[in-house]
Amino acid sequence: MTMTMNSQARSRVTRTRSTLLATAVVMGLAGSVPGHVIPPENLHPVAEAYRRATFVLNLNPVVWEQVETDVTAIADHWRNIDPDAAETFEAAAGRIIAAIQGEPGGPTPAPEPPDRREAAAAVFTLLTRAVNAIGQAKLDVARQDLGSREPVRLAMREAQGVFASFDDVLLATDPIAFRAQGQRWLELSSALGTAGLLGRGEVPFQRQRFDRAATAISAYVDANFGTAFEPLPARALAPWPARSPTFDASAVLPAKLPPGSNINKQLPRPRQVLNMATRGVDERETVLIALGDMAFDSTFIFGDPARTVGLSCNTCHNKSMTNPILFVPGVSRRPGGIDVSNSFFAPHANNGHFDPLDIPDLRGIRFTAPYGRNGRFVSLREFVRNVIVNEFNGPEPDPMLLDGLVAYMFEFDFLPNQYLDRNGTLRDEASVAARRGETIFNRPFPGMNGASCADCHVPGANFVDHRRHDLGTVGHAEPYARDGALDTPTLLGITYTSPYFHDGSQPTLRAVNEWFNTSFELGLSPSELDDLTAYVETVGSGIDAYEDTTFTLQAEMEEFSFFLSAYEFMAQRSKTDLLAMTFRTIAFEIRAHRWDLQNWTHMPVLDRLARLMDDAVAALEAGDVQRVRALVGEYRQTYEEHRKLLI
Amino acid sequence: MTPPARPPTLLTLLTVGLLTTGLTTPCGAGGADESRRPPKPPRLTVDEASPPLRISFISYANPQQVASDSAAICRYLEPYLGIPVKGFVSTDYGSSIEAMRYEQADLAFVDPLAFMMAYEQIGARPLLLEIYATGKPVYYSCIWVRRDSGITAIEDLAGKTIAFADQVDMSGHLLPRDIFVRAELLGDDQLANEFFKQVYFAGGDEQAVRAVLNGFVDAAGVSEFSYLLLRPEERDQVTVIARSVASPSHLVMARPGLPDDVTARFKQALLALDPNEPQDKAILDKLYGVQGFVEAKFSDFAEVAAIAARFGFVKKPDVFAAEPGQTGP
Repeated sequence: MTMTMNSQARSRVTRTRSTLLATAVVMGLAGSVPGHVIPPENLHPVAEAYRRATFVLNLNPVVWEQVETDVTAIADHWRNIDPDAAETFEAAAGRIIAAIQGEPGGPTPAPEPPDRREAAAAVFTLLTRAVNAIGQAKLDVARQDLGSREPVRLAMREAQGVFASFDDVLLATDPIAFRAQGQRWLELSSALGTAGLLGRGEVPFQRQRFDRAATAISAYVDANFGTAFEPLPARALAPWPARSPTFDASAVLPAKLPPGSNINKQLPRPRQVLNMATRGVDERETVLIALGDMAFDSTFIFGDPARTVGLSCNTCHNKSMTNPILFVPGVSRRPGGIDVSNSFFAPHANNGHFDPLDIPDLRGIRFTAPYGRNGRFVSLREFVRNVIVNEFNGPEPDPMLLDGLVAYMFEFDFLPNQYLDRNGTLRDEASVAARRGETIFNRPFPGMNGASCADCHVPGANFVDHRRHDLGTVGHAEPYARDGALDTPTLLGITYTSPYFHDGSQPTLRAVNEWFNTSFELGLSPSELDDLTAYVETVGSGIDAYEDTTFTLQAEMEEFSFFLSAYEFMAQRSKTDLLAMTFRTIAFEIRAHRWDLQNWTHMPVLDRLARLMDDAVAALEAGDVQRVRALVGEYRQTYEEHRKLLI
Repeated sequence: MTPPARPPTLLTLLTVGLLTTGLTTPCGAGGADESRRPPKPPRLTVDEASPPLRISFISYANPQQVASDSAAICRYLEPYLGIPVKGFVSTDYGSSIEAMRYEQADLAFVDPLAFMMAYEQIGARPLLLEIYATGKPVYYSCIWVRRDSGITAIEDLAGKTIAFADQVDMSGHLLPRDIFVRAELLGDDQLANEFFKQVYFAGGDEQAVRAVLNGFVDAAGVSEFSYLLLRPEERDQVTVIARSVASPSHLVMARPGLPDDVTARFKQALLALDPNEPQDKAILDKLYGVQGFVEAKFSDFAEVAAIAARFGFVKKPDVFAAEPGQTGP
């Protein structure tokens, strides 16, 4: 699945004139990003801070630094309206947060669960009441006689934006009131009238109509989220409109990532090197790999909430490489990292502490065992199963699916590197600086007990030693604990996977080398550090690291066709669940990518292909094997007939 | 007046028809003809002592961005005009027209309604129409409903609610309202609403189409491009059930009395822009991302002038049937 883009990314190939034009159409229309990119929600800053803080307050552990940031953002906004109230709010929230965090600089043991929940609920209550107060104040401004329409319109829009903090919960739990409120906002904007243009078309401001609607909006919000607001016991912290007569207490909130999240992937995409494809193998004859490719791109191997928000393996390991822009507030510390043992994606497998990991590059994974940052899995199959079942709450995978995933991942090759020979030694083509750095890399250092960099990053073994070492980068659970060892990462491809270290704490390779130089007293001069960095960057580089285009639909469609090449194999073995997953994945992916189409006049073809997969799922569930076969055939034929258009 | 949502710069008009109703696109106004694209005018030495040409650029959302873009446009134009070119940003058409009335602006980017009213009131002249991604200098308005609403025709909207963008808005009110007038579902002599249960003015294209998406109203009458203001995953939830007549695109107009040689060189400098040439494309991207320009004719506005007149915004629609010089305001 590919739902990503780096808006700074630029295509690095010359395309045909018509392609450029057609692409410009799509890019221009979609706000300069391809359609599969999930744009951020356009929220008022208060609503954004409130929704993010609410998400984080429901986590275990709560990332209180994030909550503090959002409390401050809301207080700053309120300060412009009511400085005293803002001060009181910020101080009250600050006291709660400080108490639960413990003394600055002191030990920070995890708080007792009741204390954490109580603190979270108290801060959430303050936040909710604050948002109500800010929105009410904005609405009051709009209701004053401001002499002209524009300041009224601005205040009204601000109030609407602030109250939108609650909209997603209202939509899910009180849809009747949600619609009524929406119509009241329309009443307000309609009542504003217009000054007309050049003396024509003026419509007077309807004060009574405006006030009536504003009063109704205010009353509903204040009744539910005003000074009497309290979180519902034994429910997630959310602005439940519990005092509304139409509130549906049985409604379930759909899973949603908080504002500030980015699960898009970088564009241009990393170039994926599949060994069998490079060898010219006909992909239609590698069924298990096709199944694995589908599963790697499928959100349906996971459980909720990962499935609902659309995550797949490919979200984090885009085309087998690190996704450097992935970020979820409260679950990530920095872009490109995520806490996979958290309470959001899999409460049952939460380890209870905030330990986001830099997303590893999977290139060459068959050469880099063991797996996991701390090398806790010797078997890739076991590692993958753990990701599915425990990290992302999925069902127990079919053994064939696991076999497929492993078969597919074992095809991930390192990028070819023209500067390295078979033994991992630099060729003559490498720069002089890199070759000087290679000497340093192989030099024993007293500070490292006589070891060299190359002792762990063994050049002749793809720059790994398959061992784990405690370099002091992991904070220990207690003094002298032996819980800080990490698997030696390969240096191949590393030029493209910043930041570095298990927690992404080092932004550049130079910073990594400086850290080693300081931590192990290597005694390297600045110029030696430059040389060592040049060496590591040379080892970490590769040929054509990224695709030469930002247009991905054609490649994606071909890949979906590849997914479907496993159909006969699975049908013969009555693998109904895997077939359904394949059809659902293709339909989901086509819809995720349909706005990437450069010429939108062909969109009905994409829609038809997606519907054929929907129908195949329905036929499968009805046990109509003949129809499933016919639908798959129709998909293949339709795709072949239109493949040149689907770009 | 707040300017209505501008047609997204590079959209194919055909797309909406195909994606939503299967409607085909009539040609409307004349399309771009690359073979008639003139060469750029000769470059001149800029006479810094000369009074500047002042251009009013309209901002729809981001005045800072428009200000930045307009500076680049001015730099592009100066050597072709031989005089200084100054741009300024307006956030409403009324200000642009008033600036032109008092000769504080020589040229202005406006929508068709603003031009027609400016012509009637101050004698502004149409110079260039913008070309959208279809290669056509036209756009349409549509009636949008939720795809799952069961509403398939405008007759189904009897006794239901509708949202327009703004009262004084060609694409977000007058054109979509005209759809109902032509179908004899609304009276044509006033802004009557007897057909509907309730008519709202949402304040913008996005607010209107989002009101449909969220079920606040049954329909919205706004630009064909408005669905692009929704998030990608939301767009398929709305669909078009009717489309308006074609409207000429947004345009550049000139104040009366601006010397012909200046307007001629200005027009040639913009008409020569080729979207297939990277340097020209960069200029077009800053000009609201259009694909180019064609010369504007009064007759391009004849049909929408009649619509605007029906709702009281234009007094003498017949004058738009003739070309400049043959008649006057």
